[in-house]
Amino acid sequence: MKLLYVTANHFKNCKDHFHINLIAQSKKTSEDKEYELQEIAEDLYVYNTMAFIGKNASGKTTAVDLLDCCYSILGEFRLENKHYSYDNVYLEIFFYHDGFIYKYTTTLSTDSTPGNKAIFTNQHIYAKKYYKTKNKSILATEGFSVLPTLGILPEDTSIVFFILGKKTTRAIYYDSFGEGADTYSLLFKALSNYNITESIFLNIIQIFDENIQDIKRIDDHNYKLRTSEQLMIVSDKELIYLLSSGTTKGILLYILMVASLQNGFDLIIDEIENHFHKTLVENMISLYKDKNINQNHATLIFTTHYCEILDLFNRQDNIWIAQSNGTISLANMYEDYSIRPELLKSKQFYNNVFDTAVNYEELMNLKRKLM
Amino acid sequence: MKYLIMCEGPNELEIINILLRHDCLKFTRDDLLGLSAYHARQIKSSTIVKTNLNLYPGSVNILRVGDKLSERLVVPSEYQTKVISIDKYCTKPELEMLLIISEGLTADYEKVKSKEKPKIFAKKNIKYGRHSYKNDTAFYTEYYGNNPHLLVESIQEYHRIKGSHKKDEHYLAELLK
Repeated sequence: MKLLYVTANHFKNCKDHFHINLIAQSKKTSEDKEYELQEIAEDLYVYNTMAFIGKNASGKTTAVDLLDCCYSILGEFRLENKHYSYDNVYLEIFFYHDGFIYKYTTTLSTDSTPGNKAIFTNQHIYAKKYYKTKNKSILATEGFSVLPTLGILPEDTSIVFFILGKKTTRAIYYDSFGEGADTYSLLFKALSNYNITESIFLNIIQIFDENIQDIKRIDDHNYKLRTSEQLMIVSDKELIYLLSSGTTKGILLYILMVASLQNGFDLIIDEIENHFHKTLVENMISLYKDKNINQNHATLIFTTHYCEILDLFNRQDNIWIAQSNGTISLANMYEDYSIRPELLKSKQFYNNVFDTAVNYEELMNLKRKLM
Repeated sequence: MKYLIMCEGPNELEIINILLRHDCLKFTRDDLLGLSAYHARQIKSSTIVKTNLNLYPGSVNILRVGDKLSERLVVPSEYQTKVISIDKYCTKPELEMLLIISEGLTADYEKVKSKEKPKIFAKKNIKYGRHSYKNDTAFYTEYYGNNPHLLVESIQEYHRIKGSHKKDEHYLAELLK
């Protein structure tokens, strides 16, 4: 299963017909096919990496929230504990699965029972067989037939269940807030759920802190930490002070990255530069581009303020610029701008081609007040 | 020091990957920048090569693999101190010469070589199982993937029969163990 396209109405404060197209749009060179794209069916390419960039409060997080919303429906067939209102949100989700293109439409509302769950109303699933010869019109209405009602489900469960059948992780969303001391509990859960070996775990620890030789879980809140000098029993709160929250978040994110690469689910990271040294971001991107490592079609999706990271992207169609003008909209660097591909993307940001520069006058106003 | 292998096309990359997988080369993945060979014509336009050059603090010897490699490799200024040498490893006039040699069709190709490129000749005359050659990487994987000895022999034979490379054009055979 791979998500191909989503369009939403009434989602957070987005403009209507807010959409993200995950199908490769621009010319595909042989180098792109080797490193930038993954072929999920004959001549059907999606991205290895996707980036959302924009000013503060421009809506980058909203864009990845929408993707997370789709992956929750496609993976767990439910939406719960999201930090936004479900009421009247209309979704149209296209995905590829087992030789077919599916279109799923629904309008959400909030469950009246306690707990933050969505109810799926007015649901429809359409399907058409994927043909290489028709891959230019994948999203076109032509060829789709509505699937008959396949059974009855609780109203908080999406009928996508009838197509995909089994709950599975389609993506993990790591937001910019971090999980504090709970990070270690999540970390060990991830190691066990995704069968990540101790050798990989120790290797990741060494990348972030060469003094640590091992961390072992004793129970939910206590850990055994071995450094080059000593062995300590520490609580999760003490551990986060000993290792720093940056190291803690970094170790968790690298573990989630390994899980994503090994299991073929997508990894969504909000504000990637908050968690890492730039070299570690570059390394992550290069691992997703390496077919020897990324054998199961995982995609790295992230938001960033750091435009230099985009110079690591060979293409433009996998970069979106978020803009807020009362409502949030997304522009695609390939579809909505004419940027010569050989130009450095970071330079275009510094030249404010995408209208993403920090407001200079406001910066000077502050400086004047501090003078 | 690491080797940075830059292959002109995906087929050359697959040939190098098969040789690496079967330990037929003078070096192993551990000797390669980022543990991989790359499909890249120029450094400037290859984000994967630039990323891996950024990650590695040491120096690199660049090994270019391709047909003729007549295009000059430009090393961007930020990497000039990192690059110790650049060498070309050619399969002239086209990589398909290896398939022609493997099929024992060298003499037949010699008769038509003035009017037919190896690629066209291979498309007309070379099959593996039920698949005709179509200039696709998968063909090389199927053809040589489980038969690296045939690939090694063909590379050596190419060196024997094609003694006319220019001084700066090395032979793939020189990279074999």
